Amino acid sequence: MAYVATRGGERAITQSERLFRAEMGEIDATRVEEIKNAMPYLIDRVMGEASLYDDDLAALALAQTGGELYEAVLLLRAWRTTQPRLSVAEPIEQDTLFTHRRISAAFKDIPGGQVLGPTLDYAHRILATNVLIGETFAPDPVDPADTPSAPYQPSVSAWQAENDLLELPEPDQVTGNDIPDLTREPLLFPSKRAHTLQSLARAETGGVLALGYAAQRGYGQAHPTVNELRLAEAKIEVRHPDGRAFSAGRVKVSQAEVVDKKGEKLNVGYAATFGWNEVKCIAAATLDLNSPGAEKGSPTEEEFFLYHTEGIESSGFCIHFKLPHYVTFQSSLDALRDAKAKKAAKRTEPAE
Amino acid sequence: MNLSALTKPWEAMSYSFLDGSAKRELRRKILKSVAVPGCQMPYASREVPMARGWGTGGLQVTLTLAAPQKTLKVIDQGADDSVNAASIRRFIARVAGTQTTMDTLRADLIQSRHRIPEEVMREDQVLVLQVPNPEPLRPVQPNMSIARQMHADADYGRMWLQLYEQLVRSGRVMQGASYPSLVHGRHVMTPSPIPRWDVPKLHMAKHLTILSAGREKRIFAVPPFTRVEPLVFSDVPYKVEDHADLICSRSGTRGFFMNEIPLEDGSSSFEVSDSEWGVKTIQSNEGEAVTLGETWYKNGEMPK
Repeated sequence: MAYVATRGGERAITQSERLFRAEMGEIDATRVEEIKNAMPYLIDRVMGEASLYDDDLAALALAQTGGELYEAVLLLRAWRTTQPRLSVAEPIEQDTLFTHRRISAAFKDIPGGQVLGPTLDYAHRILATNVLIGETFAPDPVDPADTPSAPYQPSVSAWQAENDLLELPEPDQVTGNDIPDLTREPLLFPSKRAHTLQSLARAETGGVLALGYAAQRGYGQAHPTVNELRLAEAKIEVRHPDGRAFSAGRVKVSQAEVVDKKGEKLNVGYAATFGWNEVKCIAAATLDLNSPGAEKGSPTEEEFFLYHTEGIESSGFCIHFKLPHYVTFQSSLDALRDAKAKKAAKRTEPAE
Repeated sequence: MNLSALTKPWEAMSYSFLDGSAKRELRRKILKSVAVPGCQMPYASREVPMARGWGTGGLQVTLTLAAPQKTLKVIDQGADDSVNAASIRRFIARVAGTQTTMDTLRADLIQSRHRIPEEVMREDQVLVLQVPNPEPLRPVQPNMSIARQMHADADYGRMWLQLYEQLVRSGRVMQGASYPSLVHGRHVMTPSPIPRWDVPKLHMAKHLTILSAGREKRIFAVPPFTRVEPLVFSDVPYKVEDHADLICSRSGTRGFFMNEIPLEDGSSSFEVSDSEWGVKTIQSNEGEAVTLGETWYKNGEMPK
């Protein structure tokens, strides 16, 4: 029974999972709470890529996977996909966003004003190593402004449209359950506008950055100007079955509008996502800007960048190469050896 | 009638993991793919608690077909005890309560990565193949939307050209596994990456084969008694792997697809790839009462 003795598969996978989990130890509500409070930007990134807005679940996923981001996002996606779709919220307009930060690189000042908000943009990136020798890093308190900036702001593109500098897209009249939902239908090309934006919203940050950066460096036709970048909170308004509208709370969102200056009018690229994630929005908006008319197979063509920035698919496929491939390998080896033998036989044939 | 009579108590997970709407979509797409053999049907392909590329397409089909009275076999590259096969089998048994087996003859449902068992499958059995890349045209056309148009037009010229170029350059078709095959005389499919050895088993088979690519979100099928013909030129016959005369070093079985094991002295030994066939052969040699089913290949040859 020599054959059966080698069957250790079940035990091996159980033990290897235990080995992984042993490093994280016990996970309780306190740890989840700590992760949630200490790493809001990581939580935001994970919620965006999971397309699931729930900071408790995101923190739990991070705790459970030891911060293995692809695994954390997969946990959340696999949980999300089994949940019923109870309701579709009302559409959100830009001027209804409760805005924390809003900047434009296109104009020195904009209607509503530039609002710097929370950012590390101008921080000196110096490690607070004193923390490691027992000191506490206490951030200096914020001095409130004399007059708070207005929480609701018009969009820069609205002003540009009024001044005939750009064409705003036609408002989409589709509502409720008729809105195409990427999580319930396959992505096909040419992609529906809703699918494109949903796909970018849940794309993997690093993947979007890599392709967006390639476009920014010159592998795209359009060089972006950040028309407007916003970090905000959006009110989620849903309807009770009896018809009453009510607020289901607010979610953090970020969005970017980038424009290109070629042609008679400005062209706009747009992206938005759950959570505050500026890099992703600017890179994704750059891809959106470059997408119309892009050559098939180029990195700025929608089929190329939407397929290849899907983090769950790309990371899963990448790690699947660890699985045994000996059947397929054996099959190729057979063809290779046969071709070699044929060649050798030909060489030894006497000349006619 | 009251509300509690119409509803079930809340549970953390649906039976068989997938929710009702996901299963309904899959059943519809399975029916469609049976109706148009070999044609790739796009489906939503939900995330499942396994990484993409690890059998998520096959898993979704199996979860949809699973029932407590069904008996399931899972194989990876021919082996039931391969770690990922063990993981998938454990998951399905856990969420769907299916019975499990390693014996091909006892299984109702077989989920497999890259092999068709050596014993002939029956009308009442379903084979679910995991597919990494559902698109046979990928090597000649990586763009999926263009490839889709080519299938619609039955435009397989570049596919033939690729095979011809290999013949000219290497003296033979260099395709290893996933040999492109014409299904029901209409659609070219990639028979997942099963070795060339296994492709003839699909031709006019009694069982239903469902091929599902979770990451690429495509499903296609070979219904029972459907023609599956490898793309070959009339003067260059189809050639399976040269395994007919190899002998399994463990079980002594001969005339089946083998795994090659490199040895330190520079030579190789071989082990039969269908691990359960090997086990049953050993058991039979040792006088145990096991049923060895009829095999597709006889003396290393596939009967015409």
